[in-house]
Amino acid sequence: MSSSHEAAPSPDFLAEEVRRYHHFIVLALWLAVVTGAEIVLIFLPLPVAVVLTILTLMSAGKFFAVILWFMHLIYDKRLLFWCFFAGLALAFATYTALLCLFSADRIDTRWFS
Amino acid sequence: MSDTAAAHEAPTSTGIDHKKLIMWLFLASDCMFFGTLISTHLLYRKLYPAGFTDAEGHQRFIQNLFNIELTSFSTFILLMSSFLMALAVSAMHKGQIKSFRRNVLGVIFFGLIFLGCQVFEFTHFYHQGLTIQNSVLGSTFYVLTGTHGTHVAIGVLWLILMYFYSFTGKLGGHMGALDVEVAGLYWHFVDIVWIIIFTAVYLVEYLGPNGIWGSGLPAVAK
Amino acid sequence: MSHDSHHAPVACKTELAPERSDLGLIRPDRSTGLIDWLTTVDHKKIGILYGAFAMFYFLVGGVEALAIRTQLARPDNDFVTARMYNQLFTMHGTTMIFLGVMPLSAAFFNFLVPLQIGARDVAFPRLNAFSLWTFVFGAFVLNASWFFEFAHLAGWFNSFEWHKALVYTDFAPANGWFSYAPLSGTFGQNGQALRFTGVGTDFWIIGIQVLGIASLAASFNFICTIINMRAKGMTMMRLPVFTWMTLVTAVLIILAFPAITVALIELMFDRAFGANFFNPSSGGQPVLWQHLFWIFGHPEVYILVLPAMGIVSEVLPTFSGKSLFGYPIIVFSGAVIGFLGFAVWSHHMFTTGLGPVPTAAFSLLTMAIAVPTGVKIFNWLGTIWGGRVRFTPPMVLALGFIWMFMCGGFSGVMHSSAPADSQQQDSYFVIAHFHYVLLGGVLLGLMAGLYFWFPKIFGRMPNAPIAYIASGMVILGFNLAFGPMHYLGLAGMPRRTHTYHAGNGWETWNFVATIGAYILGLGVFLAFVNLVWTAFRGKKCSNDPWDGRTLEWSLPSPVPEYNFAQAPIVAARDAYFEDKHGGKRIGTENDGGEAGVHMPSQSWMPLLASAGFLFAGFGMPMMAMGIPHAGWIVISGLGVLFIGIWLWALEGPGGYMLKTPAASGTPAPTETVAH
Repeated sequence: MSSSHEAAPSPDFLAEEVRRYHHFIVLALWLAVVTGAEIVLIFLPLPVAVVLTILTLMSAGKFFAVILWFMHLIYDKRLLFWCFFAGLALAFATYTALLCLFSADRIDTRWFS
Repeated sequence: MSDTAAAHEAPTSTGIDHKKLIMWLFLASDCMFFGTLISTHLLYRKLYPAGFTDAEGHQRFIQNLFNIELTSFSTFILLMSSFLMALAVSAMHKGQIKSFRRNVLGVIFFGLIFLGCQVFEFTHFYHQGLTIQNSVLGSTFYVLTGTHGTHVAIGVLWLILMYFYSFTGKLGGHMGALDVEVAGLYWHFVDIVWIIIFTAVYLVEYLGPNGIWGSGLPAVAK
Repeated sequence: MSHDSHHAPVACKTELAPERSDLGLIRPDRSTGLIDWLTTVDHKKIGILYGAFAMFYFLVGGVEALAIRTQLARPDNDFVTARMYNQLFTMHGTTMIFLGVMPLSAAFFNFLVPLQIGARDVAFPRLNAFSLWTFVFGAFVLNASWFFEFAHLAGWFNSFEWHKALVYTDFAPANGWFSYAPLSGTFGQNGQALRFTGVGTDFWIIGIQVLGIASLAASFNFICTIINMRAKGMTMMRLPVFTWMTLVTAVLIILAFPAITVALIELMFDRAFGANFFNPSSGGQPVLWQHLFWIFGHPEVYILVLPAMGIVSEVLPTFSGKSLFGYPIIVFSGAVIGFLGFAVWSHHMFTTGLGPVPTAAFSLLTMAIAVPTGVKIFNWLGTIWGGRVRFTPPMVLALGFIWMFMCGGFSGVMHSSAPADSQQQDSYFVIAHFHYVLLGGVLLGLMAGLYFWFPKIFGRMPNAPIAYIASGMVILGFNLAFGPMHYLGLAGMPRRTHTYHAGNGWETWNFVATIGAYILGLGVFLAFVNLVWTAFRGKKCSNDPWDGRTLEWSLPSPVPEYNFAQAPIVAARDAYFEDKHGGKRIGTENDGGEAGVHMPSQSWMPLLASAGFLFAGFGMPMMAMGIPHAGWIVISGLGVLFIGIWLWALEGPGGYMLKTPAASGTPAPTETVAH
């Protein structure tokens, strides 16, 4: 129900919004920088394992930065974080297990390689 | 867009608005949804690291197909649209409807650019010989990124409708801000899914001589 | 003490002035009869509709089961053809799971959860109506395959060009309820998409997809309701166990269904667009379908059984006159079962060759699930122990649940051992196992629930002697039908074969099983007839005929539209029982004021949006049949869905005030009850 008669936001609330505004700008810059770094990283002559680890960390960092700040989880009730995290963790665990259950040496790939 | 029960003013047991809670639950569920799609793609990459065979019967490697510049550009666009969405939500919280409209137009515009890039990418790949029918790679790639694109398209449609709705004057107050925030949550989620896809589907194909899946194969001519 | 006097309604919504929505259309709030039922957002009416459809589909699935048993009554029988047999067992399984048990559980969720937590409705009333109608249309699409099949058998399609071009002409699904690829999928390279089966599979794919959307929408709604709409003082650890199990079930649904949703999309792409997800000729791995199906399918088993466990956890304390033994442990066990349910999917696939480590891991995890289940059973026994047990019909059925479910659990533990499972796989032993769990467990639990809450739903008491006879027939017939299947399975009789030759030693027990199936079928039919008769003509009963424990029994029967005239404040677990027999444990919140209770407006839009699925659901298989222009039906269906949701958003939630006795200050005569 969109009630149009609302009290004007309180000064505290506005100050908080301004603070968040700055967080958003800083985060957007960081996201751009990290994405740029990722693209550079894949062409550097480093061992695959090292690059993969850094890539994973970077992308997880971006992921959680967006859910925490852009999606307000850091400002909101903690229950929301756990609701989402339940799905995220379960998906990660289930599909990691699934990926491990398949392996190329257990199937006949003669015709497809 | 409001559908809260009798208690539109009544506080909830947890202090969380119904709509925000249900959107987070939906996103938790969508984690499983995209988890299934992404893992389908990855496990077939694991099984068949060599790429695909095009219509002329040539073996094609995925590194020669992907266009990392284009994908990086659309990734950047989507990240920035997420930033504008955060600003739009913030504007609604402050009751600045004009600022909201400006930012949301930006989100819509960036979303459309992303979709345009995807259409271009799909057409390009198709002309390079990757189709949904000629290989498992084609099936998993197009369906995964296409489903993500569908999510983006739904988000764009949602925001366009919300943009025009804001001119009726009914989008305001706490409930209006909440409606925008919920749409924003959806949009950010689409963005974070792309963060994962960008790394897991695109970037890892560039590691080592043939991407992490194909390290055992003869090196690709770059 | 009782709060009845506070609950007699004084205002009837049909007397209120009509109100227009934000779109300028008149809201169907003041409607009666059919329109009222089609546009209702009242969780109680939605629950009743869920229950009615579920009981209808139970009978449909039962008839399919009896056809199967008739075919198997004697060796080398030809009561039905092999193809029809495949279609029967496929539709039997699919119907019973998705159209029988799940909606009947949903009926209880709808009716009970808001009452048990002291709320006036669910969090999203119109979304709730959308779930209901989406389920109804999905069920309709799935079963419409039968009409196509019979029309085909009668030769009605013979003159059509598209029919002459069909390679496979099976119109009803025949892949089993799991529709394993590649049988349900395609073969051939470069998008040939050659198929093993006809459009029956397409009906199944789209039907399950639509039913999945219905379940998902309902589950989001219920989690939100339970977490967010509890009455004051109703802490999580004061929630009735049924509500707890609803919460766990809903969490399982939202996390398990996406896997099948994606699997169905992939299968649809294989069949409709020549993709290669499960196509073995192009490198697709059919075993991936099994994984994705069981990532959904195993939690689904707990989605089916946890609500029944919740019901039993309500029935047993009521008729033992004791509080539930070990409430926190029961809740915790339910949550653990739900959690572990995601970690055991591969035990359905031991014989696919997972390798020794995964097999051992999944085997151990499966055995681990027996622990919380066993804990629950001991807690139920502890509840009965030393109580003043009243053997009412719900109690008899609930006790039957414990006994039968334990038998099913024992054979389940046998399956968890991979070497034993490889002997039992695809034999009748498995049939015996899951029918003991799903029929002896879930059906008895749900029937107990029906007999337990019918007096609350309709204010009328089911006929007890008939209920006892029906319960006896169900338990006896069930054991006669499925007990022998343990033996048949270990003696080597395979599942999913339409007949068997004489001389294998299977004749006697098959015949016994068929007799048992008929007794069971008659028993269920009798029980349902008794219930339907009760709903319309049964003897009126008091508001609290069982000496109930939870909040719903504090309300009048039938429950008024607004549930609680004044929102309750709860000070204990089993607050109503404590309130009656101990000190005061229920207060009321003065939240209504003079205006009365705010009720959500009724709406056509959920029905309209769901109708989109009806078009899309028919269009997809018709496309697969090659009927010209069928694609437009799909597109128009998606259009209807979009328009429905759009208008839904624009019409605004509305709402109206309903005067209650608390608001008017005077207790009113009960004759003014609106329905």
